Amino acid sequence: MRIPLSWLREYVRVDATTQEIAEALSVSTAEVNGVHRAGVTGELGLFRVGHVLEATKHPDADRLQLTSVDVGEDRPYSIVCGAWNFGAGAKVAVALPGATLPNGLVLERRKLRGELSEGMILAEDELDLGTDHTGIIVLDDALEPGTPLAEVLPLVDEVLDLDPTGNRPDLFAVYGVAREVAALLGGELAPMPGEDPEREGDEPVGIGIEDPEGCLRFIGRVFRDVTMGESPLWLKGRLRNAGVRSISNVVDVTNYVMLALGSPLHAYDLDLLRGGLVARRANEGEKLRTLDGAERTLSVEDLVIADGKRAVGLAGIMGGEETEVSASTKNVLLEAANFEPVGILRSSEHHALRTEGSNRWEKGVDPYVAGQAATYATQLIVELSGARWTGAEDVRANLPKPAVIRLRPERASAVIGLEVPAQEQAEILGRVGFERLQSGFRVPTWRARDVTREVDLIEEVARFKLPEVPFTLPRRQAMFGRLTRPQRLRRLAEDALLGAGYAEVYTPSFVADGDLRLPEPLSAEAAALRTVLYASLLEPARRNADAGEENVALFEVARVYRASGGDLPVERWHLAGIADGGFAEAKWAVEQVYSALGIEPTYERTSEAFLHPGKAARTAEGWLGELHPTVLDGTWSAFELDLDALAEAAPQVAAFEPVSPYPEVRQDLAFVVDEEVSAAELLAAIREAAGELLRELEVFDEYRGEQIGEGKRSLAFRLAFGSPEGTLTDEDVAPVRASIVDALATRFGAVLRA
Amino acid sequence: MDKVATVDPTDLQQEALSAAAEARTLAALNEVRIHYLGRSSALKLALRNVRDRETGMTLNAVRETVEAALTAREEELARAELEERLVTERVDVTLPAQLLGPPKLRPRGTLHPSTLVRRDVEDIFLGLGYEIVDGREVETTRYNFDALGFPDWHPARSPRASLFLDDHTVLRTETSPAQIHKMEERRPPIYMVSIGRVYRRDTIDATHFPIFHQFEGLAIDEGITLADLKGTLLHVMRELYGPDREMRFRTHYFPFTEPSMEPDVSCFNCGGAGCPICKHSGWIEMGGSGVVDPYLYEFVGWGPEEYTGFAFGMGIERTAQLRYGIAGIRPFWENDLRFLRQFR
Ligand SMILES: [Zn+2]
Repeated sequence: MRIPLSWLREYVRVDATTQEIAEALSVSTAEVNGVHRAGVTGELGLFRVGHVLEATKHPDADRLQLTSVDVGEDRPYSIVCGAWNFGAGAKVAVALPGATLPNGLVLERRKLRGELSEGMILAEDELDLGTDHTGIIVLDDALEPGTPLAEVLPLVDEVLDLDPTGNRPDLFAVYGVAREVAALLGGELAPMPGEDPEREGDEPVGIGIEDPEGCLRFIGRVFRDVTMGESPLWLKGRLRNAGVRSISNVVDVTNYVMLALGSPLHAYDLDLLRGGLVARRANEGEKLRTLDGAERTLSVEDLVIADGKRAVGLAGIMGGEETEVSASTKNVLLEAANFEPVGILRSSEHHALRTEGSNRWEKGVDPYVAGQAATYATQLIVELSGARWTGAEDVRANLPKPAVIRLRPERASAVIGLEVPAQEQAEILGRVGFERLQSGFRVPTWRARDVTREVDLIEEVARFKLPEVPFTLPRRQAMFGRLTRPQRLRRLAEDALLGAGYAEVYTPSFVADGDLRLPEPLSAEAAALRTVLYASLLEPARRNADAGEENVALFEVARVYRASGGDLPVERWHLAGIADGGFAEAKWAVEQVYSALGIEPTYERTSEAFLHPGKAARTAEGWLGELHPTVLDGTWSAFELDLDALAEAAPQVAAFEPVSPYPEVRQDLAFVVDEEVSAAELLAAIREAAGELLRELEVFDEYRGEQIGEGKRSLAFRLAFGSPEGTLTDEDVAPVRASIVDALATRFGAVLRA
Repeated sequence: MDKVATVDPTDLQQEALSAAAEARTLAALNEVRIHYLGRSSALKLALRNVRDRETGMTLNAVRETVEAALTAREEELARAELEERLVTERVDVTLPAQLLGPPKLRPRGTLHPSTLVRRDVEDIFLGLGYEIVDGREVETTRYNFDALGFPDWHPARSPRASLFLDDHTVLRTETSPAQIHKMEERRPPIYMVSIGRVYRRDTIDATHFPIFHQFEGLAIDEGITLADLKGTLLHVMRELYGPDREMRFRTHYFPFTEPSMEPDVSCFNCGGAGCPICKHSGWIEMGGSGVVDPYLYEFVGWGPEEYTGFAFGMGIERTAQLRYGIAGIRPFWENDLRFLRQFR
């Protein structure tokens, strides 16, 4: 919402500077995006009223005039001008050399076709006051030459760019903002603008409301003998500064009153209407060509304004093209209404049509302000178009009664954490329009949607006291504050991967396909929620490798989503990684994670289409393997583990036993076995055969060679034996060793190497 | 010549297709190709002697069909040969990594800047005695909107703003649904921060991505005040941005707080004098905050005045941007190692 300051100050008399107004509004009312200057930039004193002393044809150019203009200096200025709609004696708007026009052009003293020109006689478009370039602006004859032009024309204004929140429709109006400024800075608020002129007749209008849910109020007013034309410069200037294009006097009035009071209006060409106007639901399939030229197919969801024959406007959003006012309009029907917000929002979304009007209606406009809007527009239409006002109707559905809400001042102070005296609270509320009654505060109609409870009144008080509220901490009676076990383990797993050289990445939750599809996908690649993480890592891995990275190892911790059959999907935390290099890379990373979490994993051979058939394993919580060469160019390995499952598998408390004072006996054993026998099977068998005395066991070497034979390999194990009862001797260990050798020979045909 | 000219195209095609299907190796397939499509194949000879357009078209169609069949079979065989080779590369997956590779020695990895911020935020709130809650990402509209007092007209309820799975299910648009779940789970005191991914239907550009991360706090207890919100956030902001930071609060509107405020922190870059980081205002916008709307208490079945509380929400990426001076949102999702490795 752009608020020209000159307009604002018309409604509120206050000493504060623009900066102070902006500050106060931004803290207590709505965000201020900035204050900018609209219109003429640079030195204003170079824009003057000029008196044309002489005007003759340029000797060398038929289309140019040579003028001599009194601009209040001790000598007249020579100015070459291309317009002919004035002559000697006219009072005109002059910009002197050095002046900067709104379009950025800086005027210079220069020769035009051989004749000196010291400045410019201005047309509307050069001051950004309109698009008219056909003639220069002719001013009131009574003006003194040299008078600053800014005193006569809206040359410049400061504009406040306010961004009100959706709960404050009253702030989408200059008057509403003025009301806030008056309350915040102790200014004096003028009464709402607009006074009904004399009505010259009492012709019927024929207004009706068929849908009282959608249309709460419908005012229609008839104007006869309208002279369509351009708006005066003051009006054009205001609209320009508020960011609205000037169209014609009648249309400009509807826009101006909307900006002033916040209630949108619409003007119809009365002679193009067939009978009176009603607010009703559209018929299914009904057609309407709106002002933007688009033909729209309506449904019963849409509220329309219709005459006796057809829809003539999409209510509150946009009027129809067939009945719009134009240069040839003679008689006008003005609509000032009130529409229910949600319906307007739905319609405007459905037709992808947002307008200044719909933007206000969808937030909920005060139905009581429609009357004043009609009045102000009537006054301006009569003033600016010379029309006669000849008919008026005001149809109301059930207008909401203003609520009266009780406020306990001590409750307000308790919630805010600042003692605000009851008297002060009442004063604050009074300043923003809450009337104090015996039973509480009556909510002003323009705040009725937002303020419905005591806590809403407390907010009103609080927003005026924000800077004074102290900084305190809660006085706690109970303390807690610790990561949950899964959260602690997640950090441990992440840190383990850092140690293994992996960099953490964040990839989107979306993929092309999955259990849970988005009915309206973001894109073909983002159409469903992912069920696995590793696939999202392929692209960043490839991209980093393509960029010449020689050490690409990435991991991600994030959710995956699977349909559960119930209302909501199952979400689980997963941990996935990818690294350049073979199977050992993934194996190393997974070993680090398991070791960090204190879990002893079991690896089993597995097969997945995306994994190398000979280099893929699974654990109870996930998988790891070398990627199949068709998945990604080069040799890559990857893994994915279910972190929630890992958290369940991780031991709650470390299993401790006292350290034995007796030294251990260490032995290395190497066995030759068939290739198919895995190290894990041998380790399990050794553990089983060794019994209680075995303290440690690991495989430390793998060997293949001619002595061992085709299809066979040797695996070497390191064993440590010990007992809490005493020092073991080789003799104590010999039978254990024998039973190991025996067990492996029996079960796997393993042969002990000498 | 006669024999060639009278070759039956249908028979020839049939014969070639069976031969391709029967080839068991790439080498055998190559023989088939030479026999049926080679320089001196019957088909090539016939094509060379074509007199009329119709015969030419028929023979060319045969050639194309056979060509396609050969290519398809070639891929099949290549894939099979690759599989065969891969099986022979088999390793004992149960061996320790050190015996399998050994794995590369890599320099220490790095956490994503968002995780660094996340951990800091978690630690700051743990220090204040808060729980950290992850919460679920797919939510019912009841928890994501209704429970949080989103009015019907609120734009977030539109599929243009939010990502719906169906009419009742939506990817959470903020992490606050987790707070309602906690409130349903137990009575106050509740001091919690929910952190994680949230989703909006945003078009990807320099500053927007449909996913980002939030941290949202909730404190509900007896006697909590708006002043406590100010004090708590001042502490947190000073922990994150330095001990000299000041704060101001501006009134705002959020569905589930009343009063609602936007907290600003004095610019750590210019100290308030004005610079591009604070858009020359001296203040940096941090997110949203406010006093918990009693509507929430009623939603979970508590009395409207048994407790009071405050809530606030801020962005993880935004915090990281401010902290590290990262411009825009793209670097957070590009996963460029040259970027990531700097966060040691
Ligand atoms: Zn700054």
